[in-house]
Amino acid sequence: MKILVCIKQVPDMESRFKANSQGVWFEETDLAFRMNEYDEYAVEQAVQLKEQLGDAPEVTVLSIGPDRVVEAIKKALAMGCDRGVHVQDPAAATRDPWQIASIIASHAGDKGYDLILTGMQSQDRGSAQVGVTVAEELGYACATTLVGFAFSDGTVTAKRELEGGIKGVVRLRTPALVTCQLGLNVPRYPTLPNIMKAKKKEIQTIAVAELLKEEPLATTVSFHPPARKGGGIVLEGDVGVLVDQLLGILKDKTAVLR
Amino acid sequence: MNFELSQDHKVLQDAVRDFVTREIKPIAMQIDEEHMIPDELVRKMGEMGFLGSYLPDEYGGAGLDMLSYAIVVEEVSKACGSSGVLISAHTSLACGPIYTFGTEEQKKKWLPPLNSGAIIGCFLLTEPDAGSDAGAIATTYRREGDEYVVNGAKIFITNGGYKGTGVLFATSDRSLKHKGVSAFIIDLQTPGVEILKNEKKLGIRGSYTTAFALDDVRIPAENLLGAEGQGFKIAMDTLNGGRIGIASQALGIAEGAFERALAYSKERKQFGAPICDLQAIQFKLADMYARIETSKLMTYKAACLKDSKKSYTMESAMCKMLASEAATYVTKEAIQIHGGYGFICDYEVERMYRDAKITEIYEGTNEVQRVVISKLLLS
Repeated sequence: MKILVCIKQVPDMESRFKANSQGVWFEETDLAFRMNEYDEYAVEQAVQLKEQLGDAPEVTVLSIGPDRVVEAIKKALAMGCDRGVHVQDPAAATRDPWQIASIIASHAGDKGYDLILTGMQSQDRGSAQVGVTVAEELGYACATTLVGFAFSDGTVTAKRELEGGIKGVVRLRTPALVTCQLGLNVPRYPTLPNIMKAKKKEIQTIAVAELLKEEPLATTVSFHPPARKGGGIVLEGDVGVLVDQLLGILKDKTAVLR
Repeated sequence: MNFELSQDHKVLQDAVRDFVTREIKPIAMQIDEEHMIPDELVRKMGEMGFLGSYLPDEYGGAGLDMLSYAIVVEEVSKACGSSGVLISAHTSLACGPIYTFGTEEQKKKWLPPLNSGAIIGCFLLTEPDAGSDAGAIATTYRREGDEYVVNGAKIFITNGGYKGTGVLFATSDRSLKHKGVSAFIIDLQTPGVEILKNEKKLGIRGSYTTAFALDDVRIPAENLLGAEGQGFKIAMDTLNGGRIGIASQALGIAEGAFERALAYSKERKQFGAPICDLQAIQFKLADMYARIETSKLMTYKAACLKDSKKSYTMESAMCKMLASEAATYVTKEAIQIHGGYGFICDYEVERMYRDAKITEIYEGTNEVQRVVISKLLLS
């Protein structure tokens, strides 16, 4: 059995973002990067499945981006993936979901992966398109937003999160692609001995030009970081006056009383 | 010259940070209040490989380098100085000398349970009348058949309360001073080993600081570490490496306090603006950060020198001195930035201030570090 996990390295979302010089994405200087949270669930699920099947599956982890994304690949290897694929692409942040999906599909096309796992979306761009597009391009069955996962006899039984707290269970024959949601599992910590072992695992580097043949379908034309929050308003004085002031503010500046 | 951590070290730093954020930070205050690190946390740190980071995997270690070890102690100490010193004393002072001076049989026997954290290690050198003057120890040993018989007392033993495995120093003849000192590996469950007390302290309250009485303690002859009379050299060599661990602990405490002070200075408003707009606070932050960065550079340098098997005595003395003095300075200023809130336990910087002080004292007082540095300069 062959498993592919697709991961993305994203900035710490607590960071203060500013637009880059082209004004179409954020400036990366001084940002700390880490593995996309939803992709960590995908890595953990792949490693759990490998353990369930007595170490038989080979788990490949793939990431697209500049050299720094190798850190995320190494983390996934320390969590238990077997080998890494780094698609070297300094301009990955400017690609649209169609291009990213096409790169992955182009790599996976002739590899015969039985199962592909990825996060339901990235924490930064958040399009939630890459997983489903890869499935479509490869002709794989696909289920999204998994909060439960079981596998036996070539069939994935997936618990999906629907709207309003409702859950649904779907079955998919492999080859299949699933996208992972918070609540699916608790990702393990990479232990120090496993970080050491991961150093010996192979990471294949592929230039993006070898895999990317598609033009973007949707181009980002501008980027707007959130405005710095104001300091809030402190109301002082007699309670009766305060109530009137507060009501006035709620009516004028919010939708609460409309 | 490249001052960037390698990708492998960044991956490690990130992994340790995640663990510390979820497993240690939420209980750091509890550890201080209850004067105890929960066994559960010790077990988890063992599973993570924190208790044998730079020891080779053939002895159950993680097989990483000294810089990785420094990063582990630093990151843990950002949240909890007590947990930081548990790792440092255990690794540098117990695993370290057994690995460096032990025979193959000794390493195979003693290191795996230490490196997994199943047993916690300690270093039994200090006595009531022998601190900085380690050659003055009064604990004696004599040979009887296949055993050594040890009598005496040891104090201020970090991790002693676990009664695990110790590296013990005793003399065959006090008149020989440091030339009479030998080192032994001791199972502290041996009859005759008695805990007199675990000390109450200003800081690092979660860490055991133990006084032992040793009354006719019989140690198998095979547990002699190195040769007879080599003990003083083993002690000095061990403390040399240990200083990198304590520098990392001090560095972590300073960074933990700085992070809080920086965040608080942006939140706290006085005179209609955050206090970080005041130059008085800005200058404090600048002074604190500069001392942290200086200490970090020297600590990482000492670790890298040890990794590349170069002499690091000077750098380990300097990093221990710089980082511990940065820690007391930064934690003091962190309280000042917090004002009255800093004096209250809920804001944690008061704990860091208490935890910082010992780093100027143990693993060789900073006065001893200055002796080491100046001796090397003038030799």
